[in-house]
Amino acid sequence: MTTTTHTVTFTINGEKKTFATRPDEKLLTLLRREGYRGTKYGCGQGTCGACTVLLDGRATYACLLYAMQAEGRKVRTIESVGTFDKPGEFQKELVAAGAVQCGYCIPGMVMSATALMETEEVFEDEIVKEYMDGNLCRCTGYEKIWVALRKTLDKQASAKPAAKKTAKGAKK
Amino acid sequence: MKLSEFIRPATLAEARKALRALGPKGMPLAGGTALHFMQGKTPVTAVDVTRLGLSYIRQKGNYFVIGAATPLSDIQRYRGPRWAMHEICRRISTHQIRNVSTIGGNIARVFPWADLPVVLLAMDARLVIYSGKEKEMTADEYFSAQPARLFRGGDLLTAVKIPVLKAHHGFGSVKVTRNAAAFSLATVAALLELKDGVIKAARVAAGSAIPFPQRLKPVEAALVGKEAVTAVFKEAAAAAGAAAKWVGGEGMSADYIRQLAEVSILDALERAAEFARGRAE
Repeated sequence: MTTTTHTVTFTINGEKKTFATRPDEKLLTLLRREGYRGTKYGCGQGTCGACTVLLDGRATYACLLYAMQAEGRKVRTIESVGTFDKPGEFQKELVAAGAVQCGYCIPGMVMSATALMETEEVFEDEIVKEYMDGNLCRCTGYEKIWVALRKTLDKQASAKPAAKKTAKGAKK
Repeated sequence: MKLSEFIRPATLAEARKALRALGPKGMPLAGGTALHFMQGKTPVTAVDVTRLGLSYIRQKGNYFVIGAATPLSDIQRYRGPRWAMHEICRRISTHQIRNVSTIGGNIARVFPWADLPVVLLAMDARLVIYSGKEKEMTADEYFSAQPARLFRGGDLLTAVKIPVLKAHHGFGSVKVTRNAAAFSLATVAALLELKDGVIKAARVAAGSAIPFPQRLKPVEAALVGKEAVTAVFKEAAAAAGAAAKWVGGEGMSADYIRQLAEVSILDALERAAEFARGRAE
């Protein structure tokens, strides 16, 4: 193992920061060490999705990314989506649906759903499944997670055209 | 794999120079997902090749040119005339992996279960390699043995060229897995050229259930000159047994895997024929 000091600079949840790291340190390890503990260590081999973060807006496994790969990029963790006191929309629906069992998979699920909501405009089932196919819930509580996600997406979809109308109306 | 150093060259020439100097102590890194699983006692220097402008998809004349560092999710989302690459990319691993894993990383070092070599062999793709200047190679030549052989001297894969399918050409691919994100049990792909309902040319390839991805020439031979109908497809698919060495695994016998491949070939041929006749986009 090398003792050479390396640094990596990236934007984390909107804030540009520089971290000391090693060439083979995983982004997940760095994030948890630096206090972003909402990002969970699950399988550590790119299967379960508990460590999902957004890299330039795209969902990625932080356990299969070297921290050095994040240089100059934008990283977002669950901490940017909601907190216990101010949960995000999907998080509120998860609670309302009773979808959270052990809770370990939830931050990853929320990050994948965030990528979906911020990238896509239409939320057909096929698209939703595609965005969520890399997140496992070992309590197997998929049904309620799906119900909560559907509710969140339907709300967002019905809000979107209205927002567009307002924008167009404002121009006139 | 242990990384002792991590460098980010700014140009292709710099990347090649660094890899040449490092020799076996250097390792190109694109998505980097496979590096976490590679065994090797000697630490290596990772040479990041994702910042060299190699992430793009463009239609150029008769080819779609895909930059080697293009993530699979971009290929999956891209749409062009008679584009067929999205189907297989959707079936590779999970959303998070597709977002970082690249087409180049998938084929620069071929794992036996890789899907893209199968598709590229059937598609008659061309591979662009940078060795100070760029040179092109056919998929047949490139996949004739482990492609990693081509990159030992620091040369780099820069692009994959996929022929734009003409009218009456059709493509179909099938990947069989136990669950959505699992490694392939068998992957097959077929390219058919039809004229008045007759098969003028065919390229059929398979991977995963055999030691290394390859074309199935006896299957192709059983198609050319015949009518593009199910009975012919079935007969051709039955030639798969003699075309390659089928290997069992995951509790399945070699014979079972061969049968699995046969029905998958039939399915891929039906899809290719439907595509050639004019698929609904």
